Order: sequence, then C-alpha cells, then structure tokens
Amino acid sequence: MSEIPPTSNGAATPDLASRIQDRSAGPGRLLTLRTAVDDIVSWRGSFVANPDPAAGDPLLQKLTVSLLDKGTKQRDRFELAQVLEECGAKLDVSSDGLFVEVSGRALVDDVPRVMDVMAEMLRAPAFNPEEFEKARAQVAADIQRRMDKTSAQASTALSQRLFPDGHPNHRPAPQTALDRLQRLSIEDVRDYHATHVGSTEWTLAVVGDLQHDPVATVVAEALDGWAPHDAPAAYAPDAAPADPGRSEVPMPDKSNVDVRLGHAVPIRRDHDDYSALYVGNYILGGDFAARLMSTIRDEKGLTYNIRSSLSGVTTRYAGSWQTSITLSHDAVDEGIAATKEVLRRFVEEGATEDELDAKKTTITGSYTVGLATTERLAQSILTNAERGFDVSYLDEFPEEIRALTLDDVNDAIARYLDPDALHKALAGTQPEPVGAGEGPTRRPE
Amino acid sequence: MTETTTAPPHDIPAAVEFQEASDGIECYRLTENDLRILLLPQDGAPVATSMVTYHVGSRDERTGHTGATHMLEHLMFKGTERYHKRKGTSIFGTLQRVGAKVNASTWLDRTNYYEMLPTQHLPLALDVEADRMRGALLDPGDVEDERTVILNERDRNQNDPVSRLFDEVWGAAFVAHPYHHPTIGWKSDIESITPDGLREYYDTFYWPNNATLSIVGQFDRPEVLAEVAERFGQIDAAPHEIPQVTTAEPEQSGPRRVTVRQDGQLGAVLMGFKSPPALDEDSDVLDVLARILASGKKSRLYRRCTDQGLTSDVFGINFRLRDPGLFSVFAYLAPDQDHETVEDAIRETIVGVQEDGVTQEELDRARSQLRAQIAFDRDGPMRVASQLNEALAAGDWKLYTQYLDRLDQITVQDVQRVAQTYLTSDKMTVGQYVPSEA
Repeated sequence: MSEIPPTSNGAATPDLASRIQDRSAGPGRLLTLRTAVDDIVSWRGSFVANPDPAAGDPLLQKLTVSLLDKGTKQRDRFELAQVLEECGAKLDVSSDGLFVEVSGRALVDDVPRVMDVMAEMLRAPAFNPEEFEKARAQVAADIQRRMDKTSAQASTALSQRLFPDGHPNHRPAPQTALDRLQRLSIEDVRDYHATHVGSTEWTLAVVGDLQHDPVATVVAEALDGWAPHDAPAAYAPDAAPADPGRSEVPMPDKSNVDVRLGHAVPIRRDHDDYSALYVGNYILGGDFAARLMSTIRDEKGLTYNIRSSLSGVTTRYAGSWQTSITLSHDAVDEGIAATKEVLRRFVEEGATEDELDAKKTTITGSYTVGLATTERLAQSILTNAERGFDVSYLDEFPEEIRALTLDDVNDAIARYLDPDALHKALAGTQPEPVGAGEGPTRRPE
Repeated sequence: MTETTTAPPHDIPAAVEFQEASDGIECYRLTENDLRILLLPQDGAPVATSMVTYHVGSRDERTGHTGATHMLEHLMFKGTERYHKRKGTSIFGTLQRVGAKVNASTWLDRTNYYEMLPTQHLPLALDVEADRMRGALLDPGDVEDERTVILNERDRNQNDPVSRLFDEVWGAAFVAHPYHHPTIGWKSDIESITPDGLREYYDTFYWPNNATLSIVGQFDRPEVLAEVAERFGQIDAAPHEIPQVTTAEPEQSGPRRVTVRQDGQLGAVLMGFKSPPALDEDSDVLDVLARILASGKKSRLYRRCTDQGLTSDVFGINFRLRDPGLFSVFAYLAPDQDHETVEDAIRETIVGVQEDGVTQEELDRARSQLRAQIAFDRDGPMRVASQLNEALAAGDWKLYTQYLDRLDQITVQDVQRVAQTYLTSDKMTVGQYVPSEA
C-alpha cells in the first residue's frame, strides 16, 4: 500500500502531516510516524545546548558528548555497549552547532531498552577521569585527521574569512583547537554538562514499524523528570563584514587542491526569499546536471567535482553561499578562472525558464525519493521541528517550490549572490609558489 | 529458514521466464538474450531503485589497460544517440529532472549503474539503461575530456595516505591476479587508454547476457516486467563468449611488508590476510570473526587497542570477492603511539582467538548484529540493491538472501578454525602509513 500517494497532477506529495502524531511526552515534544517497513524503528532527537562559540564551547561540547557513552552512574561503558550490541541496535550522540543530536535505530521490540540507555547516557554520565583522558586523545586524533584533508582545511579557512569567532559557522584553526583541547579538564566537562545539557527544546522524531501510544509511554518513562538547562543563547547571529580576500593553507605532498569560493548571505531559512534562492543555487550547482558540473566538469574536463550550496543557513543565524571545487595542480588557475566566469554569467544573466522547470521537478522528485527510509524521514521531521516550522510544512515544501516563478528566482539571485564579493580559500600543494592553499577501505571508484 | 521457491507467479509476460525466488526476491530471465532480472517488491513510499550490474570489473583488465572499466563507466554517462546533451537529453539531466538519485560505481568484480526515483518514472530509467547497454557513443572527444576528470579523481585519492596504503598492500599481496592493481588504474594507463581500446572493452563485456537488472521498491510486477521485456528484449545477446579471468594467485608463503610515507599527522596500520572466495562457507565465518574482532565496544580489538589508547579507531573488514581476497584489520594510531606496538597488540589479539577460541556470547552477539543489519537493509530500496550488487559480483545473488541461514550454522569452533587457517603470518601482508614528519 502506498504510504506517499501521488497527487492528481502526477507529482508526488508526501502527505505526512496527517499521519504524524505530535504530542508531549516526558520533558519535550514527540513526533511519531508509522510506515510500511517491517520490524525496524529509527529516531532522531535533539535539544538546544546553547554553546558559546567565542568561548570555545563547540569543542568542549564535542568532548562532553563523546563521553556520554563511556559509562554512566549505573553502568560502565561495556555494560552500555552490551545492551546495544546484543540486539544490533545503533545509538549515537553528536554535537551539531547549537544542538546536541541523538540518533538511533533498533528492531521494534528492542526500542524500550535502547531508549533507556539513551536517557541514561544523556542524564547521568559518569565522567570518569580515565575515560576523560582517552576521550580527549580521541578528539585530538579526529582533529589531526581533519588536518590531513584538503577539503576540511579549505572549508575551515573560508569559514574564518566569513564569520566572526562567536558565530556558529566559524571553525577555529586546527592547531588552535588542539591547543584549546589540551587546556580542558574533566571539571570543564562536568560543568558544561551541568549547565548546557538538559531538555531545553527537546524534540524526538520516531519513525517505522511502531504503535504511537506505546512509543510515547516508553519515551515519557525514560525521560521522566529530565529538566531543562539555564544556559542562554550566546552566539553572534550575523556574518563578519569584510572585503573579499584569499586564504591559503599550504599542505605538502598533496596531488589535489581544494578550493572554496563564498560569501555570507543575509537571509535565514525562514525568510520569504529563501526558497527562490535555494532553487537558484540548485540551478547553478545543485547536482550533476547543474551549470557548474555541466560546464567545468562535463565540457571542460577540469575537475572531478564542483558544487555550489547554501551552507549553514538556519532560522537562527546567517550562513553562506559557497562553491567547492577540487583541482589537480596543473588546473588550479584555469579551474578557478573558469568557475568564476560561470558564476559571473549566471548572476548577470539569471536562470532560464527551462532550467527552472527542470529543477522544480528535480527538487520535488528527489524530496520524495529522500523520504524513502525511516532514517531520512526521522531526520526530516526533526529538522523541520528544529526550524520551528509546523508539521504541515513537510507537505507544503514541494508546493512552495512549484509555485516559484522565474522572476522570483532571478530576483533572489540578483539580490543575494555577488561574484565580486567572493572570498577564496585554497588548501593543498600548489606548484608555484606553494600557498601563494565512515570508515577507511579500498573502495569502489 | 529462508524460503526458496520455483513456483512461478502468474501474470508474467511471455518474453520473461521465471527461474526461482528466495526470501522474497524473484529471479527471471529474458528468453531472447538471457538478461537476468531480480525483483523485490516492497511496501512503502512510491519509489524504486533500478540497477544494472555488469559482470565486469577491474579484474578483467590487462596490463597497460588498467582503469578501463572505470573510465568506461564515466563514458557511459556521455550519452547515446537518443540521450545526449546536444539534444537537451543528457543522461544525468534527463534522470535528475524527475528527481532520480543517479550514479554508478566500478569495483574489482563488477560495474553498476543505478537510479533511485519515483516509481512513476521507473520506465524512464529502464529506457536509459537499455539504450546505453549497446548504444553508448564513446565519442573520442568525450574520452579526452573525461581523461582529465579521472586524473583529478585519482589525484583526490592520492591526497589520502590511507587510500595509498590500501593500494600498496593489495599491490604487494597479489602478484599475479589482477586484484593487484587499483580499480582507478595506474596513472600512465589512464593517460594512454585510447577510444578504440575502450570501444573494444565495451563490445566485449556490455551485453545483456553479462548483466543483471535489479528492481527494488514499490512497483507493479506485470507492468515492470513488460517494460523490461519491451526495452531490453530487443537487444541481442553477445555474439561471443564473455572472457573470464583464469589467473589464480599463487600461494603466498611468507609475510610481506610495505610502507607509505606521506606528509600527515597520524600513522596507520593495515594487516591483510589471504582469504577464501566469497562463495566459500568460510567467508561467512570470517564475517563473524571481523565482527568479534572489531565491531563495537565489546569487540576484542576495541578493548585491546582503542580502549587502551593505542588506536583512535580500528576496523575488521572481510572483503568478499569472487576470487580469494584479503581479510583486513585496519587501525588508525592514536597520537604518540608507534606502529610496532599497535601491530603487536593486533597480532596478540588474533593469537588469542587462534589459541583459545571465542565465546558463545561473542558469536551470538555477532550474529545478532548481522541479523539486525539485514532487517535495516530492507529500509527503503537502495540498501537492498547495494547488497544484491555485491552478491552478484561475488557470483551468486542468493549469497544475500540465504545469509542468515548460513550464519545459523556457524559454531565457535568454526571461528577458531578460520582464524587458525587464514590469519597466519605466511598469508599476511602488512602496510604502515608513516607520516613523513614523524
């Protein structure tokens, strides 16, 4: 039986809102959706932690979160792991900007015991000193591995050009983060947990082979009495105004250079122009058939991958418009010049009617395709809630895209995208002069 | 028990012959050209995945022509007479216009092309795949444009020392068998492959009787089989026998060792052990052993290495391939740890399994994880298609559907036996990534 029926015009519409049950359960909001899948349930949950980026809280938050599965006041790390591994369940807690997010999946009969583990980890971590030292070494290793990646280095360098250090999209230099990490103590972690971890804006989306009421009972019991924290919002919501400039991260021994071009955009996710700008950018660089891939890769053969995106745009703070390109040594200058020419022409001339028509069906079709798994559905429902949007927006999004006119899109492109305001960041080994820049495997190409 | 049946569903077109069904997956063949078809109807969202798996991979490449399979995969998106950019009907543009997630990948034993899209557009995906099965243009100008794209893709891989480490270990472990060379090919071969060479390769391997079409998701069986018959049924079968790899890797009789030096921060260790072909029953046992060694915090290597601060991550990977492959343990070193200490800890852990075996609890936990994984794979059409793809590459699609039954047969004695049989120093190739600053 169809879970997402087609509408009369043949285009799919999700019809999610009428099937999602939205209620309070325990200390927060619970959204449940039953789908046709057998035996499995996926969930995504989050609370707002309000880290202060200028004070280095994102790193402290990451370290704190990494310790949540390393033992609680009731069970050590292996006892916690045993519950999950015996039933093949997954449970992850991660730090994501202002939020701490929880993701899980389990066979339906195992949901109660996995939710219990989740609640215990969030509410009663042990913060054992020995585990703290190990977790700090793990976080250091993560940072050091990112230091080896040209893509991460280029993105970090651009973020520093676009956003002040109090902005959630600003990423500190890796060495700065490593130095800061060494100064953190277990008392810092305990304090952060006491002051920033709580049920503030707690929302949980659960999707799969479930019965609504029993899930609500399990969640309410597991999280009963979990209190909100008092930490106020402490971030700079706006970008750093600065003249366009260039940052380079020289990295020896790299065959490929990662390049980022970008500038901040002043609108947020709930602005009336957002959808038009989103579609405009999609026409430019949203997929393989978009202008950038079509020109820079398909016609000119200059790169394996080039994309543009609206990055880090939320309902709470500003984000940016970014173009990412990967270039071999001998194609760096030519690749950047060709990319800038595509960007300049696109902004000057705008999109065409045919491009708009094509991307409307691309976006609405891929929206349907993207909702085909319980994990993606749970994530979409949670993200929608984090943005403060009504559940009905999950169904309205495709219609909002279909309703856009060419004028809407081209006005947004002209208003918000400016090729002359682009900052540039490069990371890798450049020939002359240098710097003038899920699991490992042998993998399919 | 997995249900396997030979009772045909009714309402199938005459051009299609039902062969068997296993765990809900139905197998058919087109009588005209021997194209194999696998169908898995699912409830849920009105989306489907269509995937064509060609039984050709980098294993089929000869010296001087490495990377041809992957290069051809790229060229398959450049178009046919009907689907071409100059007509406004590029393959990516046509499929992405209807919201399809579309891509392809090349690996040692296979090449696959897939589209996940709204079910109403499934006929379009089938039409594109049928058209390019024998109608790819392989234009010489496109070959030159794509050559630089692939060289950039290779440069991206070379940026990553771990990618280099895997290539070096496989290159040392296999001296005769074509698993020796990386799927993307040697740089000099990528630079020199000719359009005529690619055409010859295409004409050798891209035929319906060397392919399997898998369709997973929400669809109507008679309708979809009729669409398949109409679009693929008019393609002739290959006029020649499809060549097969006959080279067998000689027995390895001693440990081998390689080192990758590249600028970077943290070292890594990769230990590969010659393992049996995917269809060998011992390969199932090695899957379980990989879980017991390195899946989750209760695993032996996590407790011995990561929990003790020797590694920041450790993985057990059983590469299940058509011919003997490598059972691998990979570890990222923790800061300030050395390779020898980590290697010793891994070896000590393996010796522990060889000498003392594993517990029933460990075996049961590994099986539970794999059972849950199979259930999670049925969440949406893409994961099942991906799993089927690898089973097809290994040589039998039922490797996927009968997996749980085979797991049930495994004993703790089996796990100890395969550790003793395969994880020996004579069958081992060790690679170290040593950051050049260190």
